Amino acid sequence: MSLPCGTRNYTYAEDMAIFRTKTHWVFLACLTVLLLTLPMFLGKFWMGVANLVLITLIAATGLNLLVGYCGQLSIGHAGFIAVGAFTSAVLTTKMGMPFLVGLIGAGIVSGAVGLIFGIPSVRVKGFYLAISTIAAQFIIVWGLSHWGLTGGSAGISAKDPSIGPFEFVSDTSKYYLVLFFTVITVFAAKNMARTRVGRAFIAVRDNDLAAEVMGVNLFYYKMLAFFAGCFLAGIAGSLLAHCYYGSLSAEYFTFTESILYVAILIIGGLGTTLGPILGVIFIRVLEQLLTVQVVPALERALPMLPSGFASGIAPMLFGLVIVLFLIIEPRGLSHRWNLFKAAYRLWPFSY
Amino acid sequence: MDQLLQLTISGLAVGMVYALIGLGFVLIWKSSSVANLALGQIVLLSSWFTYGMLVQLNLPTLLGFLLVIIFALALGWVIERIALRPLIGQPILSLIAVTLGVGYFFEGLVTFVWPANSAALPRIFPTKPVQVGSAVISQEYIWIAGISLVIFLLLTAFFRYHRLGVAMRASADDQMAVQACGIPVTKVFSMSWMFSCTVAAVGGVLLSSIGMIAHGLVATGLKSFSVVILGGMDSFGGAMIAGPIIGLAESIGGGYLSAYVSGVTDIIPFVIIIIVMMIKPYGLFGETRIERI
Repeated sequence: MSLPCGTRNYTYAEDMAIFRTKTHWVFLACLTVLLLTLPMFLGKFWMGVANLVLITLIAATGLNLLVGYCGQLSIGHAGFIAVGAFTSAVLTTKMGMPFLVGLIGAGIVSGAVGLIFGIPSVRVKGFYLAISTIAAQFIIVWGLSHWGLTGGSAGISAKDPSIGPFEFVSDTSKYYLVLFFTVITVFAAKNMARTRVGRAFIAVRDNDLAAEVMGVNLFYYKMLAFFAGCFLAGIAGSLLAHCYYGSLSAEYFTFTESILYVAILIIGGLGTTLGPILGVIFIRVLEQLLTVQVVPALERALPMLPSGFASGIAPMLFGLVIVLFLIIEPRGLSHRWNLFKAAYRLWPFSY
Repeated sequence: MDQLLQLTISGLAVGMVYALIGLGFVLIWKSSSVANLALGQIVLLSSWFTYGMLVQLNLPTLLGFLLVIIFALALGWVIERIALRPLIGQPILSLIAVTLGVGYFFEGLVTFVWPANSAALPRIFPTKPVQVGSAVISQEYIWIAGISLVIFLLLTAFFRYHRLGVAMRASADDQMAVQACGIPVTKVFSMSWMFSCTVAAVGGVLLSSIGMIAHGLVATGLKSFSVVILGGMDSFGGAMIAGPIIGLAESIGGGYLSAYVSGVTDIIPFVIIIIVMMIKPYGLFGETRIERI
């Protein structure tokens, strides 16, 4: 495929390797060092943003499996994340389970709920499926904010994560914890996407009837996509509860948040490994910059306008970005990156 | 018994408005097979615009409404021209996502221009209560049901008899053939968006004239999806029958169940969506799609 000139593979293992050239390994080493030393450069605020980015990346990777690879549009991802967050909080706070049990339990419960709402996908697709996931989002959030076990509208608190005797209290320690899970998730998703399962997903996405005729079990793979996507959403929700929010309220998981996840995929590029990473960084950093820096500054600069007007800027900008990306670059930032790589390799003879 | 009658009448009336907003959806789906997920935000935006005209600028009611209609027409034209036209022929995922983006933009725009959480329109219809059988209800409900019905009949007649209406139905059926016949398909698309936004705007004004203008109108717009899902996405009549059913389910179910489960009213339409999806995904009157490879 898009390998640099002169790269030859002599074994199947070499052919399958993700990191194959020396440059790859150098980049990997640099990235590892950068990720591990990141807490040294970032202040308290940006540390929180880094945690949020990593957690969002887990959820976005899950959504990418579902939407990008399997082609089943879900606009209720925030709802499934909420299921995971509340499951984990209930398991640890109310039942006194350890954090890891809460984490895995959150993934499994979220995946199960995803399966329930994914059942219509066997018969319908496209817009119909989108609508039923929207319905799922509203039903889930309503259920969580009215059910006694989840604390109702008052919400529920989630304590700091701990593994054995070690407690993750500071933002830096939480960062390493989240980083660990994020790296595992991204690699697992990458490998899922390039093996049998991923190929079946892509076949279903491109034409599900043709895939079925070729012997791909539609029901199994669609359900698997929903389970995998929502499982990762649950993991992300659990980390969000313990490492980011601390105390949960169903109001955090709005419909607009769900749209934001779809936006992340579109901006990054659907059906690629790199896409969610770029999209998450773009959206979350922009969001934090806007809400923390730009909005208060504008409010102060223009006191004659009614208060609260500037909080509309972020949604306006995100909406605009979604529309513009779809029109101008529907394959997202990762496609731009590939173009850049190709141009760099061929330079100065671009033919 | 009184309570049941009262709930029935208000449910029917609100259901008619849902049906009207649902019609706005069906219009676009029928002519261009685009699912307009920004409908809720369009309802919200046009309700706030009405507030701006009638309350903030203090215009006379009729002039204000005229401006709202013009605004909605312009809104539909702009959305179609800027966001949808470049995406003709793209996969359905892009089409759905672009309307989500448009809706997100409108949500921000509403916060930007009208940061207040909620506001009330002046009472447009007479509020004098009338007696229906043993129940006493506000006259407003009868007015909004009547207006919805009239608009529905007008639209149906338009689709059946007017040249443009026939062109819209034809382009829903087969775009290539229509283009070959010399009908400007892009014009048909932009007309359907203009009509749809106007219908949604009228629905929004009707709803907010009996309630409040608040962010919940987005969810109300989304509730009208349950109407189109139940009635079938490509059926006007289906929407008009499903609307009152949803309205009744919401008002009667909410009226009797709220005592046991608080706030259940808001999710009844969404539960109906899931049930319909599981049992009869193409709705009561929708056309079942047979796919070929």
